[in-house]
Amino acid sequence: MAGVKTPPATDVTAVPALDALREVSRNVKRVESVEKVTGSAEYIHNLRLPGMLYGKIVRSTVPHGRVVSIDTSAALAVPGVHRVITGADVLTLVKNPHYGPAFHDQPILAVDKVRFVGDPVAVVLAADPHVAEEAADLVEVTYETLEPVFDEVAAAQPGAPIVHDELKPAGTFTDLKYLAGRSGTNIALDAMVRHGDAEAAFARADRVFEETYRTGQVMHTPLEPLVSVAESRAREELIIHTASQSPSFVRMEVSRLLGWPENKVRVRTAYLGGGFGAKLYIKLEALVAVCALLVRRPVKISLTMEEQFLMITKHGTTVKIKSGVTHDGTVIARRTETYWNGGAYADIGPRVTQKSGFTAAGPYDIENVSMDSFACYTNLPPAGALRGFGIPQLVWAYESHTEEIARELGLDPVEFRLRNALRDGRPHATGTIMENARIVDCIENVAKRLEWEKPFERGSGPIKRGRGIAVGFKASISPTTSVAILNVYGDGSCGLHCGTVDMGQGSDTAMAQVAAEALGIRTEEVRVLHPDTDMTPYDMATLGSRSTYHMGNAVRLAALDARRQLIALAAQSLGVPEDQLACKDGAVSASDGRRKTFREIFVDRFGMQAGNVVGFGTFAPEYEKADPKTGQSPNITPFWMVGATGVEIEVDTETGRITVTKMVTAGDVGRAINPEIVVRQLDGAAIMQLGATLFEQMIFDGGQVVNASLADYKIPGIHDVPHHIASDLIEVPHPRAPYGAKGVGESGTFGVSPAIANALADACGVRVRELPLTPERVLRAIRSKSGDPLEEA
Amino acid sequence: MSPFELLEPASLDEALAALDPSDPQVRPIAGGTALVLMMKSRVFRPQRLVSLRRLNGDLRRVRVDDDGTLRIGALASLSELERSPLVAKAAPVVAQALRTLSNVRIRNVATLGGHLAHGDPHMDLPPILLTLGTRVRASSPTGERWIDLADLIVGYYETSLRGDELITEIAIPPLAAGTRAHYAKHTALSADDWPAVGVAVAFRRENGGLRDARVAVSAATERPIRLSAAEAVLTEGGGPETFAHAADAAADEVQTLGDLRGSAAYKREMVRVHVRRALHAADASTEGR
Amino acid sequence: MADGRRTIRFTLNGTAVAADVAPHENVVEVLQNAFDLYGARESCGQGLCGCCTVVVDGTAVSGCLFLASSLDGTTVETVEGLSDGKNLDPVQRCFVENSGFQCGFCTPGFIMMTKQLLAEHADPSEEQIRDYLSGNLCRCAAYPDILRSVQAAAKARAGGGDRVNAIS
Repeated sequence: MAGVKTPPATDVTAVPALDALREVSRNVKRVESVEKVTGSAEYIHNLRLPGMLYGKIVRSTVPHGRVVSIDTSAALAVPGVHRVITGADVLTLVKNPHYGPAFHDQPILAVDKVRFVGDPVAVVLAADPHVAEEAADLVEVTYETLEPVFDEVAAAQPGAPIVHDELKPAGTFTDLKYLAGRSGTNIALDAMVRHGDAEAAFARADRVFEETYRTGQVMHTPLEPLVSVAESRAREELIIHTASQSPSFVRMEVSRLLGWPENKVRVRTAYLGGGFGAKLYIKLEALVAVCALLVRRPVKISLTMEEQFLMITKHGTTVKIKSGVTHDGTVIARRTETYWNGGAYADIGPRVTQKSGFTAAGPYDIENVSMDSFACYTNLPPAGALRGFGIPQLVWAYESHTEEIARELGLDPVEFRLRNALRDGRPHATGTIMENARIVDCIENVAKRLEWEKPFERGSGPIKRGRGIAVGFKASISPTTSVAILNVYGDGSCGLHCGTVDMGQGSDTAMAQVAAEALGIRTEEVRVLHPDTDMTPYDMATLGSRSTYHMGNAVRLAALDARRQLIALAAQSLGVPEDQLACKDGAVSASDGRRKTFREIFVDRFGMQAGNVVGFGTFAPEYEKADPKTGQSPNITPFWMVGATGVEIEVDTETGRITVTKMVTAGDVGRAINPEIVVRQLDGAAIMQLGATLFEQMIFDGGQVVNASLADYKIPGIHDVPHHIASDLIEVPHPRAPYGAKGVGESGTFGVSPAIANALADACGVRVRELPLTPERVLRAIRSKSGDPLEEA
Repeated sequence: MSPFELLEPASLDEALAALDPSDPQVRPIAGGTALVLMMKSRVFRPQRLVSLRRLNGDLRRVRVDDDGTLRIGALASLSELERSPLVAKAAPVVAQALRTLSNVRIRNVATLGGHLAHGDPHMDLPPILLTLGTRVRASSPTGERWIDLADLIVGYYETSLRGDELITEIAIPPLAAGTRAHYAKHTALSADDWPAVGVAVAFRRENGGLRDARVAVSAATERPIRLSAAEAVLTEGGGPETFAHAADAAADEVQTLGDLRGSAAYKREMVRVHVRRALHAADASTEGR
Repeated sequence: MADGRRTIRFTLNGTAVAADVAPHENVVEVLQNAFDLYGARESCGQGLCGCCTVVVDGTAVSGCLFLASSLDGTTVETVEGLSDGKNLDPVQRCFVENSGFQCGFCTPGFIMMTKQLLAEHADPSEEQIRDYLSGNLCRCAAYPDILRSVQAAAKARAGGGDRVNAIS
């Protein structure tokens, strides 16, 4: 990307009024509905190829150590074992076998060191997966153990055990290059924002508040566990079938590792059985690719639910936050220090650290802000992006903190937020002027939904009731590019070549709606081709709620391009100037009533049903990267997302158990392309975050996760869903978004955790500053407050 | 999983003969919901499994004796018990607990015999059955014996069954008229989680006092166990204060084990809370009045 | 060790079938290996998520914990048996109409369990639905829509919805 100026967004015209839209804003049923309810939808999970071998990963049993020896003899002696692949085998094919989106730090298989319990050391291949599993237990690995570090704050201190000897930024993201060659540190990235003079403002503030908030490490647990299959039919050809959210990146990275041009690597996906960020960038793909190339047979690696906990997780965090406030309730200064526990490999953690880090002071208009955000290596399973890209951890801190300040000052928490809210036209701490962010509307919406002004029933006996709200915001990630192709066939039907991965969010349906709207046809007439790098053009990835905006714009541009071409062809056959023709209902028509269907246009042009009209669209939004020393940028993001949550809860003060009885979400969505699907995204995100708030947490013993299964790592079930749940769409079309639509996949997560903690404080007067809010943690807080603390664990 | 020999005998005698008391890699399998899990995680690698799925007759029957004893064939599934009018009448507290025990599919397959023979301390039914004076019949090639449930589960995943013994029947004696019982399940994680603490109580009121008071706990302890100190307190009165004292006695005597659902201290506290609540709930129940 | 493979015979979605299975194979594996049926799928592997739900002799079971050998002599129904390829089962239709799914991975399990639920409770209360489906997990958390889908399916049954729809 170096030196390339991102092209300006073209052809983004004024957003049409709602009543001018026919396909956008229609509640189209998901295009893949029938396949999903009949069990016939394609997932890579189901894929079998002739001659395929199954790989089972042998994993490190120590959190930090040097690999001394690997004895594969017992495993090879198991009948049916085809081969055991180790790091040494990988080196015969790939000279530098380290991959990763931000840092080239993760070996395909351990080369010298292992860095967490679960780090892949070898792979056993067999035609029978049971045989591979059995033999994997028999691979003997000896380690020279090294001192591990697990806590993110401890890892950032001088003298901590060092996880990686030297930092190796990938170069994918130009703004990380300055880190190259650093050594003797676990801080993979330190991102900072300086706005005004926070220290001076603290000195003149009437009150200063300072607290630390923490979150535990959690996991995505997509129900289709991570799975990749590789095959190589010809000498220099590789096909990777993978449950991936980012096929374009997989191709780029595997090509780089092999030293091949991208056109020799094909990466395709199917529907994903959930993603949530777990299937981003590169996961199992390099490993299956190397295995398939080494044994010249298709290789499939399908993780179990247990193994998923060793692949990718969501950062545990420590956020230190300090605010200076005046007597009238104006926040004049805020300083944040965020430590992200990135685990053993950076994955996309540095981007989380930087791109979400600069929002750590919250959606407030604060004159003096200082933010530091540290991506820390530790000897735990790697952490990346999980539905919110780090935002839920930050909102947890700043919205708990904001509420504490309001309560301490005796101010209504809703009013306090509204007084300090960042409004359009005001500068954010990065210097970017805020625009099209409905922060105030979202706060007001949930307050109204909770009937905030009215008296509230407080419960009786041991059950206490409380309510709370919280609001969060997120900057869409840049730089970023999406490309789409709309191919109109000779009969007038069309195929949309689009790299966005549908993992349940409904993107196939939404993209078909956008294409149909722009081309003047029905959504049901658009077929969306699944990502396949041989057929679908580049897309950065399906992440960070970026697809609706970026791919949506690319699809719209592609459809408009096709439309222009169809009109030009029709102008010739009708003998009418292009500017007097309209394209709708699958035809181009003139004002005198004469019309040509798309098929007729092709027949007129080619003398028969033949040919294609191919529309092409590229979208790369304008963006200015931040100054690394101050974090300042005039244009830090293409668009802002805002989500607010309101809850009512019951607390059993004798057990500490919280029951959420009501949960309302307000999402600033620009305009909903498919309102039903958008509401579901908000509801689903909120329920997912409910799990991380109340009970989800990976528990470790000496670096080993001890609850890596759905038996002991519980996720929300149907009984956990609040009896009253609702999501409202705040719809003010964004001028540069396709038909005004912004991304929405994560917004429902933002406010859930602090809203619940705030409601707990409202109910019982206790403040818990660490997630999850387990019954024991809550009970301990209640008992400490009442002067009758529970004995130490 | 790795291969093993699977036998599917058609009679109890054949099944018993196929077991091997000297080989821990030979095990019977009924519903298999617990055993297959252990095999998948490779905690257990069987050499031979003796499937009980072809066994029928009394082994699957639920009936009530002339003397009122509820007799449950060990291979009756938990769903069958959930739907059984005989169970609902004789031991409504069992029927109530079954509704939230694990999930429908597991209940459809898991058997009561397997539920007890597994020795898992986190199960819902053992503490309830302990308060009801339950006994199990263990059959072996050399005969059979009756084991008090309190003597069956002797440790953490440990029972007093020999390797060639099968539980064939579970007997719940008739409850004295007026018996009130309740099971309180405390979950610490998701609502559908296993219990972090399970507390079962049973008693009847007579002349203002409590008779035959039983208190049992599971999930918080190494094994499901009756709490005798709490039971003793309950002989002293019948009001809310007695219930609170019994709860304190239960918390004092119980040896809790911490796990990822709560520390030992938290679980001790939950025993206190739920013993008291279960006593009140039982007392308020219409059952037995 | 002898692999102990044996031939089992059972009725699968109305058709008599046979398959060679090893003792350590589970129901999901035999459906996929021998019959190319992928609607029941293993996810948590512990009988907790319901993605592998199949109905054996009229009873819903977790295919991932059920030994394939034990299918011998039984009648098995999978999600693939609900639809003839042209017409959806009313429960499937209600899931489509009420969007009771997102990624779709758990959906066949929810649909199979809903069929069972409605066979046992024709007019289930919300609590009965929640109790019955508490062993099925949806990580997309489409639960509010799943509840609506089940309620719609119950209503369709009660109102003879099938016939009404067939006429209209």
